[in-house]
Amino acid sequence: MLEIKNLHANIEDKKILKGLNLSIGKGEVHSIMGPNGSGKSTLASILAGKEDYEITDGDILFNGESILEMSPEERAQEGIFLAFQYPIEIPGVSNSYFLREALNSIRKSKGEDPLKPVEFIKLAKEKIKHLKMDESLLNRSLNEGFSGGEKKRNEILQMSILNPCMSILDETDSGLDIDALQIVANGVNAHKDANRSFLVITHYQRLLNYIVPDFVHVLVGGVIVKSGDKSLALELESKGYSWLEN
Amino acid sequence: MKDFESNLSNQHESFLSFENKSQYLNIFRKKSFDNFRKQGLPSLLDEDWRFTDLSNFYRNEYKHLDSSDIEFDKNIVPKHIKSLDAHFIYVQDGKLIESPESELFEINDLSVFLEELSEDKLDFFLNSHSEKNVDFTYELNSAFIKDGIHLEIKKNTILDKPIILINFYSSDLSHISTRNIIEVGALSEGQIIEYSFSKPDINFFLNKATSFYLSDSSNIEHLSVDESSKNSYIFSNIKINQNKNSNFTTDSILIGGRIYRNNVHPALKGEGANSNILGLYMSTNNQHMDNYMFVEHEQPNCGSRQLYKGLLKDESKGVFHGRILVHNAAQKTDAKQTNRNLLLSDKAQVDTKPQLEIYADDVKCTHGATTGQLDPEALYYLRARGIEFEKAKLIMIRSFTEELLEFIKSDFILNLHKKTVENWFIESNLAEME
Repeated sequence: MLEIKNLHANIEDKKILKGLNLSIGKGEVHSIMGPNGSGKSTLASILAGKEDYEITDGDILFNGESILEMSPEERAQEGIFLAFQYPIEIPGVSNSYFLREALNSIRKSKGEDPLKPVEFIKLAKEKIKHLKMDESLLNRSLNEGFSGGEKKRNEILQMSILNPCMSILDETDSGLDIDALQIVANGVNAHKDANRSFLVITHYQRLLNYIVPDFVHVLVGGVIVKSGDKSLALELESKGYSWLEN
Repeated sequence: MKDFESNLSNQHESFLSFENKSQYLNIFRKKSFDNFRKQGLPSLLDEDWRFTDLSNFYRNEYKHLDSSDIEFDKNIVPKHIKSLDAHFIYVQDGKLIESPESELFEINDLSVFLEELSEDKLDFFLNSHSEKNVDFTYELNSAFIKDGIHLEIKKNTILDKPIILINFYSSDLSHISTRNIIEVGALSEGQIIEYSFSKPDINFFLNKATSFYLSDSSNIEHLSVDESSKNSYIFSNIKINQNKNSNFTTDSILIGGRIYRNNVHPALKGEGANSNILGLYMSTNNQHMDNYMFVEHEQPNCGSRQLYKGLLKDESKGVFHGRILVHNAAQKTDAKQTNRNLLLSDKAQVDTKPQLEIYADDVKCTHGATTGQLDPEALYYLRARGIEFEKAKLIMIRSFTEELLEFIKSDFILNLHKKTVENWFIESNLAEME
C-alpha cells in the first residue's frame, strides 16, 4: 500500500531523512520508534504533504503511484490520514462543520454525492457513540480550548469519520492518561481491518500494548536502523536506543 | 484642492439662493460653511487624515445635485433585499420617493420636517451634538442640509417589522449630501437598516449623515451596508445620542467606495446606556477604507463595545482610528475596543491607531489590535483532511468575519449581514456561487 524508497529530505538545508526505506502492506500495522530528533515527525509530515520540506532523493509510492507531487488535500482524498501530534486550534470553525466539509470534499473527489447536514450528524453521532466520546465535541470550535486528551480523541474521531485506508498516528499517545489512551486505542482497533493500514509513531512501548503492531522499526539519525516484530518494542523499552546509535 | 474648495463655495452659494424658507436654517447652513472654510480641506498633514490621501478626490469636479421628478425603479433593488419582510423607504439621490405609513412610526422628508420645527427643536437636532469630532465632512453636510428623511418611532413601540431605508445614487459626478434624523421614543424597540447602492462604476461624492436620538430605555439595532460604486467617494457620519439605559447596536458593512471614510460617534449621554459599535470593512483592488471611531462616555455606568474587522484583498488599504473619550463624570465606564485585520495579499495594508482620553478615575478601558495573514498551519490542517486549498481559505476567512455575529441579537440583521458578506465573497472570487 505504502512504499517509501530511499527517502532523503531536508528542512532549510538541514538533512533530516537520509535514505529511509519502508514498505507497508494492506492491513498491516507498523510502528516507528526512535529517540527525539531522529526524524519521526518529519516523516509523518512529509507523508501528509506538508510543504516545508525539500525532498532531495527517493520516492513515496501509495498504491503504486508517486505522491510527491500531490497536495495535502489530494493525499487525504486518496485515503492518507495523519493524526497530528499537535492538532491546530481554529476558533470560529465548528468541529461538525469542519468534519462535514472534509468528508464531503473526500466524497466529491470520488464522485459521490455530498452528505446533507442531517445525514452527516447522524453518522457523526454513531461514530461518537462507538468511540465513547462526548457529543458536545461536535458543536465546539475546532480544537479550541480542548485539553490534550480531547484533541487526540478528536483526531481519532476524524479518522473514524473520514475512513482512510492509510492512517499515520504521530505520537498520538503523548500527553494521554491511561483512560484516554484506551479510548484512542479502541478507536484505532475498531477501525482496523484487512484493507486498512497503520503507521504508529511513538516514543513509548506503552501504546503498543493496546495497538499491537505487526512490525516495529527503529528510526535513528534519519534512517531505519533496525526492524523486527512487537518484541523489539519491549527490548527498546528496557535497553533504550543508545545500543542502536552510531 | 483650491479649485475643489472654490467649486464647493459656488455650489453652496447657488444652493442657498434657492433655499429661503427658513431664516434659521440658512444661518445655520452659512455658519457651517464658514466653519468648513476655517478648517479647510484636510491633507496628509492633518492628524485625523494622515493615513487617507484625498488628493485624487480633490481633482474631481462635482455638481451639487438639485434633482426633482425622479421615478424610482424598484426592480433595480437587489433581490435579497427586496424580498425581505420589512417596511421599505425609498430614497434616490437624497430625495424621499416613497415611504410606508404606520401607526408605529412617522416618516417625513427632512426639509419638510425641519421647516416646521421651532427654533428650540432645531437647536436640539442640529446643535446638540458634541462639538468634538466635527470634521470637514460633517460641517459640509450641515452646510448643505436639506435632503434626507426624518423618522420617528413613537414611544412604547415595538416595531412590527424592521425598517429598511434604501438609498440609490444615480448620477455621475454628482455631489450628494443627505442627513437622516432618527428619533426613537422611550421604551421603544426595533431594527433599522440603511442599504445604499448606486449605478455601477459612477464617480460621485456622497456625504451622508445619520443621527440617532434614543430616548430612555430604548433598544435599537442598526445595520448600514454601502455597496455603492467602487469609483465613488463616500464620507459617512453616524452620530448616536443615547439617553438613560438605552441600548444601541450599530453594524456597518463597508463594500463600496474608492475611498470610504466612516465616522461613527456614539455619545453616551444618560446613565446606564450601552453601545455596540460593530464594523466589517472589506476592500479589493485600490480601495481605501478609513474608519474613525469616536466613543464618548459622558455619564456614569455606561458600556461600549467596539469590534471592527478588516478583510483586505489586493493592494487595498484600511485604517482604524479608535478614539475613546471618558469625561470626568463618567465613572464606572466599561469601554472595550478591538480591531482585527486579515490581509489576503502581501500588498494590502492597515494602519490602526487607538486613542484613549480618560478623565474619570474609576473606569475600565481596554483596547487591542491585530493584523495578520491566514495562518499557514491552520490551512495545512484543513487541507490534510481533504479540504481544497481555496475552500480552506474561505473557511478561515468566513470564521474571521463571524466573530461579529456574536453581538447581533436580531435574526433579521444577522441573516442580512451574513448574506451581504457571502455575496461579497462571491464577487471577490473567494467563493463560488452555490
